[in-house]
Amino acid sequence: MSIIQQHTSASLSDAWRTINIDALDPDSSQNFDTTTLHPPLPEINEADVRQLNAQVRQLLRGGDAEGALRGCLETPVYNGSESAKEAHLQTVTEVLQSIKASDMSPMLERIHQSPGGSELLDVLIKYLYKGMAASAGASGAPRAAGSRTPSTLTPQQTGFSQVGSRPGSTNESTGAAMSVILSWHEKVIDIAGLGSIGRCMTDWRKV
Amino acid sequence: MPGPEVHHLFHRPIADHSFSADRKILAVAKDSAVELYGKVAGAFKLKDELKGHDKTITGVDISPNSGRIVTCSQDRNALVWEPSPTGYKPTLVLLRIARAATFVRWSPSETKFAVGSGDRVIAVCYFEEENDWWVSKHLKKPIRSTITTVSWHPNGVLLAAGSTDAHARVFSSFIKGVDARPDPSVWGERLPFNTVCGEFMNNSAGWVHSVAFSPSGDALAFAAHDSSITVVYPTAPEQPPRAVISINTQLLPFMSLIWSSESEIVAAGYDCEAFRFQGDASGWQLSGTLESKGRPGLGDEREESALNMFKQMDLKGKAKDDTQLKTVHQNTISTVRAYESNDGNVTQFSTE
Repeated sequence: MSIIQQHTSASLSDAWRTINIDALDPDSSQNFDTTTLHPPLPEINEADVRQLNAQVRQLLRGGDAEGALRGCLETPVYNGSESAKEAHLQTVTEVLQSIKASDMSPMLERIHQSPGGSELLDVLIKYLYKGMAASAGASGAPRAAGSRTPSTLTPQQTGFSQVGSRPGSTNESTGAAMSVILSWHEKVIDIAGLGSIGRCMTDWRKV
Repeated sequence: MPGPEVHHLFHRPIADHSFSADRKILAVAKDSAVELYGKVAGAFKLKDELKGHDKTITGVDISPNSGRIVTCSQDRNALVWEPSPTGYKPTLVLLRIARAATFVRWSPSETKFAVGSGDRVIAVCYFEEENDWWVSKHLKKPIRSTITTVSWHPNGVLLAAGSTDAHARVFSSFIKGVDARPDPSVWGERLPFNTVCGEFMNNSAGWVHSVAFSPSGDALAFAAHDSSITVVYPTAPEQPPRAVISINTQLLPFMSLIWSSESEIVAAGYDCEAFRFQGDASGWQLSGTLESKGRPGLGDEREESALNMFKQMDLKGKAKDDTQLKTVHQNTISTVRAYESNDGNVTQFSTE
């Protein structure tokens, strides 16, 4: 059902195939801001994150690990500065590391059963992947200015990165951090299913 | 519930399929041709092939009463195939789109059909008597990306569309002279062409793969790439819907969904099996799979000898052959269609 064409040297060559026609179309998705497609999200600044961090720590000290985990997953930093996002990741990582391996599954099960729980686990998955990315990335990633987290808790270099130096003495703690993330990942997927990974990839709200 | 009837047609992906009203003819899109199968003694036999498109066919639909077949393809064209004593006669439809056509469905009145496209428009096509050809009107605003799916309201005027810009929208496709004025509904009262009666998205904003109106037309369901199903109950025009219910599942995304009744939805997709959802305006939930557990030819695991096991381990690195899925479909289900309805519907799926 092709339309009969006049063959010219231009149409016989394949050069026209490489023209980026989207750039020429004013309505194309290249030419509008895709963020306008979604409703705006509330902005969270660094001070809020620090305040939340303090509350979460208090819960942790009080022995309410589940409350602490819920607390930091209920207010993910979707719209905020890089440093605020980074600081919140630190908070989440801290909570995750303070929870015993044997408590993970029952706790996740309880969260999943509660109303809105699957949303919380989706947020957790996002932070787990962010944690992995942060540790796989350069160890010199911009550290949150206001973060009071000791550097031992910061996942930095892992075996995933082939570029970085091979594991040395400094990498032992980061390897441990990564294994914490990986075991959480396994447990969350057991409960929230593959759907949560799909949602993490699809979602436009990035942590 | 009786088990599924499985008809294996060929080893190719099926983009779309459609049954005729008497369910004797099955049209299946295979590459750039549509194959027509006739039911002979319980099996489907290839009867005819409709060749006319240059590129992969993306949609096929048989109108229940007139028996006309509409096809659309990545070659940006749609063809209407008119049945005649000497076979099907194709007529080209002027779609006026610059990108692939992605999806096509007849309206319930069979005087129009809607074609979704990658050109950010939906072409609503109708037959113009005086010129003796099919022409189209474009639904354009506010679509920002490729249309993946369309679905007609029972009144034949409202059209739901899902798009890769993560929105499910409800449009009016009222065409003067073709449609009778529709009765006012929850979606709106006055409905000139391209009225946007509703625009919905879910929280995580995945691509919308499938949309469907409930049998009464008063609710809309859509499946998105975030493995969720969202059901919308509108109240009145210009007002927020009274309920928007999103069910996030633990499963892989759904590609297609249909309502089997006002309170039940059947959805299927990347998990290769169909799932049932039940609920109403107060809440919906996943109530299980339609796959029956004790299907013949499955589950009778043969007892392996130790020798055989070690042989398999040596050859393949594993003891069991796990390349077969435990589902009827061995690949993603691309389309779910109502096959027979008498109060409740029986569904029919397309296979890999």
